[in-house]
Amino acid sequence: MSASQHGLGGLKYDPKKRHRPPELNVFFALILIVGAFEVLGRLFVGDSFLFNTRDRVDTLFNEPRLKIIVLQVAIIGIIALGVTQVIISGGIDLSSGSIVGAVAMIATAFAQASVNQYGMDNLKPILGEAYLNLPLIVPIVVGLFAGLVAGVVNGALIAYAKIPPFIATLGMMLFARGVANWTTKGVPISYLQESYAEIGAGMNPVFIFIALAVLMHFLLRYTKYGKHTYAIGSNEQAARMSGIEVERLKVLIYAIAGILSAVAAIVMSSKALTGQSGMGLMYELDAIAMAVIGGVSLAGGRGSILGTCIGALIYGVIISGFTFLKLDAFYQEMAKGAIIVGAVVLDQWRARKQAAKS
Amino acid sequence: MKKTILAASLTAAVTGGVAQVSNAADLAFAAYLFDDKFTTILRNGAEAYAEANGHTMIQLDANNDQGRQIDQINNLIANGIDAVIIQAVDSTAVQPMTQALKDAGIPAVFVNRKPVPIEQLDGGPFAYVASNEIESGTLQTFAMCNQLRAEGKSDGARGYLLMGQLTNEAAIQRTADAEQVMGLDMCNFMELVAPKTTGEWQRTKAQDIMTNWLSTGDPFDFVIANNDEMALGAIQAMKAAGISMDSVVVGGVDATDDALAAMKGGDLDVTVFQNAAAQGAGAVDTAAKLIAGEKVSREVYIPFELVSMDNIDQYLDRNK
Repeated sequence: MSASQHGLGGLKYDPKKRHRPPELNVFFALILIVGAFEVLGRLFVGDSFLFNTRDRVDTLFNEPRLKIIVLQVAIIGIIALGVTQVIISGGIDLSSGSIVGAVAMIATAFAQASVNQYGMDNLKPILGEAYLNLPLIVPIVVGLFAGLVAGVVNGALIAYAKIPPFIATLGMMLFARGVANWTTKGVPISYLQESYAEIGAGMNPVFIFIALAVLMHFLLRYTKYGKHTYAIGSNEQAARMSGIEVERLKVLIYAIAGILSAVAAIVMSSKALTGQSGMGLMYELDAIAMAVIGGVSLAGGRGSILGTCIGALIYGVIISGFTFLKLDAFYQEMAKGAIIVGAVVLDQWRARKQAAKS
Repeated sequence: MKKTILAASLTAAVTGGVAQVSNAADLAFAAYLFDDKFTTILRNGAEAYAEANGHTMIQLDANNDQGRQIDQINNLIANGIDAVIIQAVDSTAVQPMTQALKDAGIPAVFVNRKPVPIEQLDGGPFAYVASNEIESGTLQTFAMCNQLRAEGKSDGARGYLLMGQLTNEAAIQRTADAEQVMGLDMCNFMELVAPKTTGEWQRTKAQDIMTNWLSTGDPFDFVIANNDEMALGAIQAMKAAGISMDSVVVGGVDATDDALAAMKGGDLDVTVFQNAAAQGAGAVDTAAKLIAGEKVSREVYIPFELVSMDNIDQYLDRNK
């Protein structure tokens, strides 16, 4: 026994017992996967995954590929931000994909122009002539409001009607998809205004995703809202005893998730230049998978926005990597499935090891 | 004049239909669902053709309910009808209807949705009228092949293929046909750069897949898509990457409003139109032949129509 124990009540700083942030593991996994694609690419395709091997030697990296890696996960990533805080609070949200479909239809109905990008006249306005060429703020506000309402309904059902989150959001999933199909009876909405098309043009989805990720990170990490969210996810009874207004908080959590789904819907319909009732199909599962890969525990109370962002990146790298290796899309799905399960197995294993150590 | 009526007032309508012309027939059109764009064009086409030929035709809505459709057919049989045209709710479960119609000796034409198995139409006054899915992918890819040739790329053209949802027969058929055309002597200069990939019929999926393909930097000349939505997604991705749409031949299938607009704007090169109105007219025509006891082949196909820059104007308002 060394003398340093004195004054520490028998506790001693032991670097071996220090917890590595779980995000670090996910980040290592990301590096590993990127490395694997780089090596496989050099071996089998004769090209680099990350670096520029083309005649344009002005850039070190293959910029188009880096861009699409992020771009193709940005929209689902926005949903995943909302899903992350829902899961941290001990809940689940199955309705996010359907809310995307419903909001895409509602928002684009208010975003129609009288002529399309090719200068052709819009002969069949969805809401009538009076609703053409509205200011950009109208579709955005209407869309976000629709998402907010869906989220508040989810939250109220869970918090006040005491319905399990799985069932409440399953109901909303079916209902919102119904709304999406009902809006125009399945007819796609085109002839969108140029100002609306700007929202999701180019790399804008990525910028919106990053901005929202920073905001959500701040919210969860540094505010009372965030700390209480973790608290009810870890132990709802204890949180209630310590004076947290659990019901109100839950409504707020699902409301924010609803708004984020609405943002994703607006960005997506803008990027595709169309509103379609099938939009966002199965996105809820992709969003949950991103969070889970990023170390968010489905048991609640554990996880972070940073982790989810890395989880989203892993998703993007896999999609682009398989295209790069010229492998069929079927393998992509298989790999995605394996990685989701693998991430959880690793996470469980790490948690057990930690529990054994302390 | 619209003769859309409810099943409740069926008896009155059927018995009230008085033949004006000697060869006029009492027909019934049993739609799977009125509230469907394609079906609406289909039954309007049938209605117009029936009226022009002096037939009376009532329309029935099964509201996507197989049980209701069977009841409707049995009602028609009980009240006496010359022939029925059926767009089946569930094409794998038409046997109760064919059996009842066969027993009553009433001719029936199945339209648009192919009864499975098709052999149950044998031995009765039955026929099936539709467009043959084999044509769409073939017409599309062959037109693209011709255009690439015309652009002087017959010494080798490289491109991509976007498939629809793989659980869907049309996706598999159109893909197989596209590949078959690319195997022809005349078109085997067309070669895929990457394995064919499914965009699940969706514009946004296709957009991301195309952007991924673009990141490989491989030069390419054409993009074949199983439907227009995916073709439009690919076009949007290419335009975002600053690729001139004059240098790429893009083909879709369906001739949707958006696709026709994109073709008018010079972005989309080829699409294929399924003529719903002609299917409706063909069904009425076939029904009249069956009533007259003429020999009709079991499957009557209404051709798909190729839409390109040359004939686009006649298609612009066909979907409406």
